Amino acid sequence: MNLLLILTLGIGVAAGVYLMLSRDLFRLVVGLAILGSLANMILFMGGRPGSLIAPVIEKGAEGLPAGFADPLPQALTLTAIVIGFALLAFALVLAARAARNGADPDRLRASEPKPHEAVKPPIEDW
Amino acid sequence: MHAGEQHGSGANDLWVVLIPLSAFALLAWGLTAYSLPWTFALPWAPSLGIELAFHIDGLSAQMLALITGIGVLVFTYACGYLAGKPRRGRVYFVLPLFMLAMMGAVSADDVILLFLFWEMTSITSFLLVGFNHEDPHARASARQALLITMGGGLAMLGGLLLLAQMAGVYTLSGIIAAAPGFMDDPRLHLAITLVLLGAFTKSAQFPFHFWLPNAMSAPTPVSAYLHSATMVKLGIYLMLRLDPAFNDLLFWEVLLVGTGAITALWASVLALRERDLKRILARSTVAALGTLTLLVGLPSPGAGLAAVAFLFAHAVYKAPLFMVAGNIDHATGTRIIDKVTGLRRYMPWSAAAALLAGLSMAGLPLAFGFVSKDLMSIAKSEADLLALLSWTLVLVNATAVAVAAVAAVRVFWGRVETPIGPVREVPWTMLAPPLFIALLGIEFEIVPHLADPLLIAAAGVVSPDLRSVEISASYDLSTLFSALGLTAGIGILLYIAWDRLHDRLHRIHWLDRYGPEATYDFLLHGLARLAAWHTRALQHGRLSGYLRLTLAALIAITVFAAWQGEGRLTVDGYWPDHAWAWLVACSVMLAGALSTLFLQDRLALLMASGLVGYGAALLFLFAGAPDLAFTQFMVETILVVVAAAVLPRFGADPYRAEGTRWGDLALAVAAGLGVIALLLHLQGFPVDSTLPEWFAGQALPAAQGHNVVNVIIVDFRALDTLGEIAVVAFSLLAALPLLRRDKGARDHAERAGNPP
Repeated sequence: MNLLLILTLGIGVAAGVYLMLSRDLFRLVVGLAILGSLANMILFMGGRPGSLIAPVIEKGAEGLPAGFADPLPQALTLTAIVIGFALLAFALVLAARAARNGADPDRLRASEPKPHEAVKPPIEDW
Repeated sequence: MHAGEQHGSGANDLWVVLIPLSAFALLAWGLTAYSLPWTFALPWAPSLGIELAFHIDGLSAQMLALITGIGVLVFTYACGYLAGKPRRGRVYFVLPLFMLAMMGAVSADDVILLFLFWEMTSITSFLLVGFNHEDPHARASARQALLITMGGGLAMLGGLLLLAQMAGVYTLSGIIAAAPGFMDDPRLHLAITLVLLGAFTKSAQFPFHFWLPNAMSAPTPVSAYLHSATMVKLGIYLMLRLDPAFNDLLFWEVLLVGTGAITALWASVLALRERDLKRILARSTVAALGTLTLLVGLPSPGAGLAAVAFLFAHAVYKAPLFMVAGNIDHATGTRIIDKVTGLRRYMPWSAAAALLAGLSMAGLPLAFGFVSKDLMSIAKSEADLLALLSWTLVLVNATAVAVAAVAAVRVFWGRVETPIGPVREVPWTMLAPPLFIALLGIEFEIVPHLADPLLIAAAGVVSPDLRSVEISASYDLSTLFSALGLTAGIGILLYIAWDRLHDRLHRIHWLDRYGPEATYDFLLHGLARLAAWHTRALQHGRLSGYLRLTLAALIAITVFAAWQGEGRLTVDGYWPDHAWAWLVACSVMLAGALSTLFLQDRLALLMASGLVGYGAALLFLFAGAPDLAFTQFMVETILVVVAAAVLPRFGADPYRAEGTRWGDLALAVAAGLGVIALLLHLQGFPVDSTLPEWFAGQALPAAQGHNVVNVIIVDFRALDTLGEIAVVAFSLLAALPLLRRDKGARDHAERAGNPP
């Protein structure tokens, strides 16, 4: 069954990467979102998911029942989800603003000083 | 400096002279009160066998006497030369620093210490050559001097470390003492070559000779001190220092004699190509350094004495000549020898100093230069030189005579053809030093017992076999007329033919286009061009290009890891009861992911990406991770809503029908396959359950929490979670102004009457 999940993740990553390589900034962000979700899943896979028993100690019980799901990857994944959310929210706003200003993702140097400007002398004069 | 412009004698700055003067006085007192050698050591890095070890013997004492003695006069001269100039405080700061570095370099016994002082002289030299930093030529010269001497210094460090490893000690004296033991070591030749690279670059030996004439962009006191009397002698000093160890080695002899002869001859030829008096003197300094290298390389004991004496003599006549060149520059505003002539009427004292120093440089009787020339010819006859080498030396010395004549006679005693404006003699602070040093050169010859003990002590260090020496020259008429007469004769012929030779040599243009200096420029520009090219190639500004490169690298690393790794791809047949839920979750994710490939509308795309997130949440729910499921549901919902709200800001979608990007698709498929391989690989490793067990066991007793995941996040990894919260807060803080300013721009546009 893990094979099914693994194949899903592989196909999903491929789709996310394809979106990210687009010239459209919005598609890039969407690709990033998909990749983010899948990366969290991959992190989660480190704990070999399979158990249905949540790592929560019942009231009155001394400890977890046998066969509990691994809590450590869950904790790490939870952190990753939140961080990923923050990253995506910022990326979304940034991309929106860049797109609005007419930024071309294939001409990122456009705002750099030109060779004839004083800040950056041309190589020939070095 | 323009003609006639006077700024006083600079007597107010004379206090700096106290620095070399006190050092000189200390040395003189030490030499009279204590016998050599003096040793002094402090532990520094005992675990590495490195200590602050100083060892001052005759050779070091001679160098120290030169450094401090000439220093007194150069500092005096500098006060006059720099009077009224802006930024002269820098020279007064760096020059003593340089002097200290030199003193350290010639007295250091530890090789690491030697290297440190050595590089310190390079750095201070860089600062002094680049004193006129507004002049691009001075900057280029300073950089050239720094790159060449520091590059050589690095090579020397490598060589010294090799020698230290072979000898087992880090002190020069220890290495020299242990030298007979490692004469058969296969690393010996490499070590010698590296050390000599350092010495050759410092002492401007061929093919590194070109930096020295260029370093003449420095103020004249600096040229006189660093580039004739002291720093360039440091390479010679190191060779002299190591000579007792390698004197019998053929490799050592061939390298030194060969390089020295080529340098001396080539520099003599190049001296004839120059018109600038300072550059002529610099070329002849290179020739002298070549002669010194040659003398060190000669195996006979007399050669060591000759080298030590010539080193001394050269400093004593070249420093005043440089100072005189500076005086001419100061008074007339030019150093081109065609423009100045007959200056003796205006500058009688400078003329006198030039004449005295010139006498010594030409090696004429009654001057110390004569003694050193005499010793040199004795050394030559002792060493049984090849005839070719002998004639080389004669030519080199003849050029020295011609250069001396140019510096001392031509500019001062030639016919006055055109008036060169009001020329006045320079202030006394610029006259006393060259006169004093030049007189010293004469005096050492007449009163030899002042300098001889020091020279003999120095020579004794270089050639321990040397028994008794007589330094004062014997006025033997036959010697006078045979060897020196020949040199002087050729020299006078060269002087007479100077202009014609210069025109001939000047017309050989390929000398400028090829050769070491052109190679240096080519390499330097090549480096800059290479850096520019590869920066442009990597930083091309195409976002998709950056992503492709990053992905390709990641995939390559994954493939490499899979290929090198030990585990194998594992598939398990686990099929639990809740498998149907996983099936649904995976189907949702797959549907979302695959539909993004076909959907064109942005809103539909956003929804499809949401499906992937919801699928993941569903899966978390059926994998014993309810917390993750809730968080994922929430995050995904907020994200889709926010994105939908921001979506209009992206404007029109010009990439709606881009068509299939096959190259990107291939990369994407490769990435997907890489992830699959990675995860299958991961399945093969056993799970270490120590940590989960520990957290599960500690959650209740230690943290009083029932939800183990929550306990880990807010308790065991609380600091990490704090950081995470900070990241979320910062991203919000960063996003807010972006949103707000956008609004401001819209308002502005509206006010201006342009609806957005």
